[in-house]
Amino acid sequence: MGSLTDKYCIVGVGETPHMRPSNRTTLSMACESINKAIADAGLKPQDIDGLTSYQAGDSTTSPHVATALGMRLNYAVDILGGGSSTEALVAHAIGLLEAGYCKTIVCFRSMNGRSGRRMGGQAPGGPVSAATADGDNQFNMSWGWTTPAQRFGMSAMRYLHDTGCTTRAFAEIAVAHRYHATLNPKAIQRSPITIEDHQRSRWVSKPFRLLDCCQETDVSAAIVITSRERAYDLKHPPVFIMGGYARTLTESPNWNYSRSEIHYVAGNYGWKRAFGMAGIAHSDVDFISCYDAFTFTTLIQLEANGFCGKGEAGDFVKGGRLKIDHELPSNLSGGHLSEGYTHGVQMVIENVRQLRHRADDACPGWAQGKHTYDRAAGCRQLRNARICCGMAWGWENMASCLILRGMAA
Amino acid sequence: MPGSIDYSRLRILPDFDTAEWWAATKQHKYFVRQCNKCGHKWFPPTIPACAKCASMDIGWFETTGKGVIYSYVVVTQPILGAFTNTAPYVVAIIELNDCREEDGTVTRVAGVLMNDEAETAIGLPCEAVYEETNDPKIVVPRWKISGTAANTWHFNE
Repeated sequence: MGSLTDKYCIVGVGETPHMRPSNRTTLSMACESINKAIADAGLKPQDIDGLTSYQAGDSTTSPHVATALGMRLNYAVDILGGGSSTEALVAHAIGLLEAGYCKTIVCFRSMNGRSGRRMGGQAPGGPVSAATADGDNQFNMSWGWTTPAQRFGMSAMRYLHDTGCTTRAFAEIAVAHRYHATLNPKAIQRSPITIEDHQRSRWVSKPFRLLDCCQETDVSAAIVITSRERAYDLKHPPVFIMGGYARTLTESPNWNYSRSEIHYVAGNYGWKRAFGMAGIAHSDVDFISCYDAFTFTTLIQLEANGFCGKGEAGDFVKGGRLKIDHELPSNLSGGHLSEGYTHGVQMVIENVRQLRHRADDACPGWAQGKHTYDRAAGCRQLRNARICCGMAWGWENMASCLILRGMAA
Repeated sequence: MPGSIDYSRLRILPDFDTAEWWAATKQHKYFVRQCNKCGHKWFPPTIPACAKCASMDIGWFETTGKGVIYSYVVVTQPILGAFTNTAPYVVAIIELNDCREEDGTVTRVAGVLMNDEAETAIGLPCEAVYEETNDPKIVVPRWKISGTAANTWHFNE
């Protein structure tokens, strides 16, 4: 185990509703989610002395939030980032806490991901009429290859070619995550779907269909991190940070698409660090979260992080394996595919709620940890939620991970 | 054949690192970057140093503009106005024939195929073709399937 294992904890989580549209600023949404996360921890804004966020030039900043909420910070920084940044900011927070730069840190993401700037350049009203292709965009926009669906689709197509996997494996992931969303009152897509629904949905960017793609929503989400010693005195039982890796890169620094295998992703180089630091084996993991910008991104992270062999993920997910009450439940809130899109924070939030045994589901006593485990009645809480492995990626060449445990583990 | 690309709705801005690349495409030449010290080749030219030896003493390698399709996507829902009438169109990653290095490193580039999805398959040979735009300074390379191959793979779901 690493010297930092279990030393720091996630003690508060909070988010705004997933909205389409929010009709609000990213600053307003950030303040709401941070206030909720701080209250969830049993703290006040004045107890927070570190604030960090990630964004893509599409959001407010930590100093703006601090001004609005009256926080006097000892540390503030906002990074440019994407998927896999949440876990990276947790690692960053641990370093700051360990070194004594601050005592309690909030990490947040706030974005009008639907009504504001959408990924790949689309304006709210439809295709961009005239676009400027400068910098790296000279070499993707000039050939109409900009959106995540278009970019990741390239890796997915080659994966299908190399492994013999079919898109029915993609469907397994869409169906499992949607099923969890049916148990989540916060999710924006709550109608159950089948493998055949997935196969019939319209093409967005072949090999991706509509039901392979995540939701785009306006939302902010936040988490609070502090030391184990402080965590014991707060509102909820602590959720301990066992291990992780933060924005690991792939084997080759080449342009992503010149790497020997474009679907051999960064998790392959990170998971030994995370599991080694946590001192656990894959068989110790009760449930996972897996960055699902697309069904395919979940699929290849499973093999990249050692849950199955190379090229075996298609078989691994068959038969509903990722569903609640099956072998390896994944994205219990419904994830990006069905709950909404927070750029990764919601995975950590749901994992914390599950590990506290307080999934905010239809059970009347959920806030007291009283669950029925009756899925037909809308219970989303796992019976045994002791250790969770959260996996995230930005592009194929960049990935992060966060292994958490609750008090019971 | 896919519909035409409306380049008037795309403003391509060459910069210090890429101006010579665009000057080459105007002369119907396909360049990739090459390290003057160790010979490593790469794309795109926005990368200003050699990933193998970190040298910034870099130049250009003129490829034959011939390669093999490594992967592709079919865009059915265009997001840029320039491609509204092009869809459905195929964007392919092309593995260049003459950029394979001794340690197995390859250079791959990308572009819109002149061909329809039905004709497209991983493994097929293709070559660069050059498309004029309304900007006299800018010629954009596309790719055209140029033959057949023994082992090809087509997505057919």
